[in-house]
Amino acid sequence: MRSHTYLQDIIFYTTQCLTQSAGLLLQLPQSVTAQANVLLARFWLIEPMLSYEFSDTSAATLYLTAKLSSHPVSVRDICNAYTYLWSDSSPLFRRQPSPQQQPPEPTAYTPTDSQKTSFHNRLLSLEARILYTLGFDTHVALPHPLAITYLQALEFFNHSKSEIGSLTIKYLNTALLSPQMLYLTHQPNALAVAAVYNAARDLGAKMPDTSWWEVFDCDREELGFLVVGMRSLEGWVGKMREDGKGVWEEGMVRRKDVEGEMTRRGLLRGNGDKAVDEEEEMARLMDERMATMEAQS
Amino acid sequence: MASSVTPFVDPETGAPTSPRSFAIVHQRPRGSFMGCSKIHDYDILGKLGEGTFGEVHRARSRKTGALVALKKIIMHSEKDGFPITALREIKLLKLLSHPNVLRLEDMAVEHPPKVEKRNRPIMYMVTPYMDHDLSGLLDNPSVQFTVPQIKCYLQQLLEGLRYLHDNHILHRDMKAANLLINNKGILQIADFGLARLYDGQTPMPGHGGGIGKRDYTGLVVTRWYRPPELLMYLKKYTTAIDMWGVGCVFGEMLVGKPILTGESDLHQLELIFDLCGTPTDDNMPGHKELPLYKDLHPRPRPGNLPQRFREFGSGAVSLLRELLKLDWKSRINAHDALQHPYFRNAPLPAAPGEIPTFEESHEFDRRKFHDRKAALPPAPKGGTVGRGVVNGNTGPNSGFEPDGYGGRNGANGSRYPRNGLPPPGERRPAWQRDHGHRDLPPRPPPPQNYSNGWDGAEYSDSYRDRDRDRPPRGGIRGGHRDAAPIDTYIPSYDRERDGGGGRREPPRDDRRRHDWDDSRRHDRRWGGEHDDRMRSSRTRSRSRSPIRDRDSHRDRDYRRG
Repeated sequence: MRSHTYLQDIIFYTTQCLTQSAGLLLQLPQSVTAQANVLLARFWLIEPMLSYEFSDTSAATLYLTAKLSSHPVSVRDICNAYTYLWSDSSPLFRRQPSPQQQPPEPTAYTPTDSQKTSFHNRLLSLEARILYTLGFDTHVALPHPLAITYLQALEFFNHSKSEIGSLTIKYLNTALLSPQMLYLTHQPNALAVAAVYNAARDLGAKMPDTSWWEVFDCDREELGFLVVGMRSLEGWVGKMREDGKGVWEEGMVRRKDVEGEMTRRGLLRGNGDKAVDEEEEMARLMDERMATMEAQS
Repeated sequence: MASSVTPFVDPETGAPTSPRSFAIVHQRPRGSFMGCSKIHDYDILGKLGEGTFGEVHRARSRKTGALVALKKIIMHSEKDGFPITALREIKLLKLLSHPNVLRLEDMAVEHPPKVEKRNRPIMYMVTPYMDHDLSGLLDNPSVQFTVPQIKCYLQQLLEGLRYLHDNHILHRDMKAANLLINNKGILQIADFGLARLYDGQTPMPGHGGGIGKRDYTGLVVTRWYRPPELLMYLKKYTTAIDMWGVGCVFGEMLVGKPILTGESDLHQLELIFDLCGTPTDDNMPGHKELPLYKDLHPRPRPGNLPQRFREFGSGAVSLLRELLKLDWKSRINAHDALQHPYFRNAPLPAAPGEIPTFEESHEFDRRKFHDRKAALPPAPKGGTVGRGVVNGNTGPNSGFEPDGYGGRNGANGSRYPRNGLPPPGERRPAWQRDHGHRDLPPRPPPPQNYSNGWDGAEYSDSYRDRDRDRPPRGGIRGGHRDAAPIDTYIPSYDRERDGGGGRREPPRDDRRRHDWDDSRRHDRRWGGEHDDRMRSSRTRSRSRSPIRDRDSHRDRDYRRG
């Protein structure tokens, strides 16, 4: 059975990966990029995913979080990074290029002036949209510092702290990408406990015999849920890759592709019988928007 | 399908559900968080004023009927999107909840008519309406503060500040105009446009402000409330900078007007040394390491704080001395200040409800009390703080400043390129723009020693020389002369103050103002003095008038050439 959620999950996962990649290219600390991931998930709880191009939404959340942090980035840098990731030259969601292959020409991923201007406009209007949608609630509490604190409290004697610590952080970072939106459904302390638990179990570190998670305000059920949730992402991604080749090897998912896919599956208007004329659809959306605006004013 | 990964189970039906609906179900209740309203949810009752904070309107909420203040968010730069200062302020205010900290109730959006395509929506911050700000209230001639009232306000201020500091927040713009008071006697700290999270250890009872852990930008706090360590460029400052501001506000409440009204940063330091004594190893350990100190050569003096505030009693003097301690490491913190005997000795602090109500008085409509028709000049906008990259003269990574305050690197000097003038198109505060002196020749190039100048002192000579060739600018030779030629050189900003009777707000933008402005101020001291007296029958503030001649000489003395 294929449904809406299937596509939604793929969009969610790939867009979060895109944010992470952009964060790396822009040399942002993970604390900033992770907050952008959380804001994006919050935004999509309220705003339909298809309202904006996915990469634009990712760029706007990253720009906004960076602006609020001590590592602001300019619109131009964001534009360059996203144009590259969006271009055919980007290895994101493609087969790795063979070593013999010539590296792509820089012109292939350099935005033109008009692209820059239009990116700028889209970014700023989306920024405002995001702020409005989130009710200006931009604070994000990440579990990473808590996890470190918990590790220090726990003392796994037979394993080095750096080893278990880095695996814990990896679990936390992976959980950011999960379409289960664990960062929205669970408190930072619970996420931290689950990541520590997973890391310790993977390394065979000896955990206390008691229900130590309760010390950190996390009950057994919650921990169990999160442990499974965090571990399941890898398998899920592998399965998705097998299933949805089209979406996975042609670069970052685009709104157009998804709409096409939805039409094919009979999920979009037209019920698969006839392809929806894109312009017609656009006109309809604009009409709707005008109507709501008039109703408001 | 994702739901096969981990079962998301509907709590009622037990049926599997999508993560998305699971998350929606587990959202915070809608009512607990207002989010963002439309401007039509409010009936605008009139403009309250305009100033450093931008435009403020009084309004009534249609939903709750409550009176609110709507603070318009100024969009400084279309280029950078939503202004970062406003974002930071909103983010911080959303995290805070304390009776003595102004609450952000809502955000409101106004869509301008669709006539112009470029018109962006205008955002407002919605806060409870407060009848007064402390600065306006002190300026209201019909209001006389009683000691219990002062104690009550001070106590609330300290409670609010203790809360902020305990929650790792530096306010960084403590001043009377940012303290709002309502007719129920409640004081609230407002304007978090410069506030930021504090990385260091929060103040511990009995340990003053502690030791700073990391660098922050020094370009904060309005000059009259700026502590000595900031004036001497300490970068690792602490919560103690806000406590100094409390001391200034406390003194201001006692005296009825600001107590340290420096005209330049150096002058501010001189006034501080007059009051608290010059730095020694005893009263300010570590002062020799402060970047500016080696350039200062103040005449040693003990400080006249006890004499100056003798009439307010020993309790007030003792607390004031603790708050206005030169040593930022041992300056009293909010915890300890609240335990000070001043609050336990008679007369005891009033309960907020006991304080009489007053006619509403705001810092920005003080002209109401001075019969001044002239509009207040738009005060320099402070909200430009973290506006980010200054167009043109910065590289791609210019936004990466450790503090996140892009474009405000370093101290006073480095904002503009070397010619000392803002790049074309750079927004300047209104008073700084060509007001009455369009007839002036272009400014001369700055002197050679520009690069080591951090303040205007060295320049004054060159500017003065130049000005000697000009027709006399007034006062200095006495005689009642027409104000016009003088005014050509006095920014309208000061004109207002001179006529308006002693109280003015120092430009917040001072912190980032360029050197040539300071030298202009030095100039004005030569020229403006007499004129002030002539035009204003009011007595000039005690603290300011005598320093004019004396100080302009001294300014040069305490700097080695």
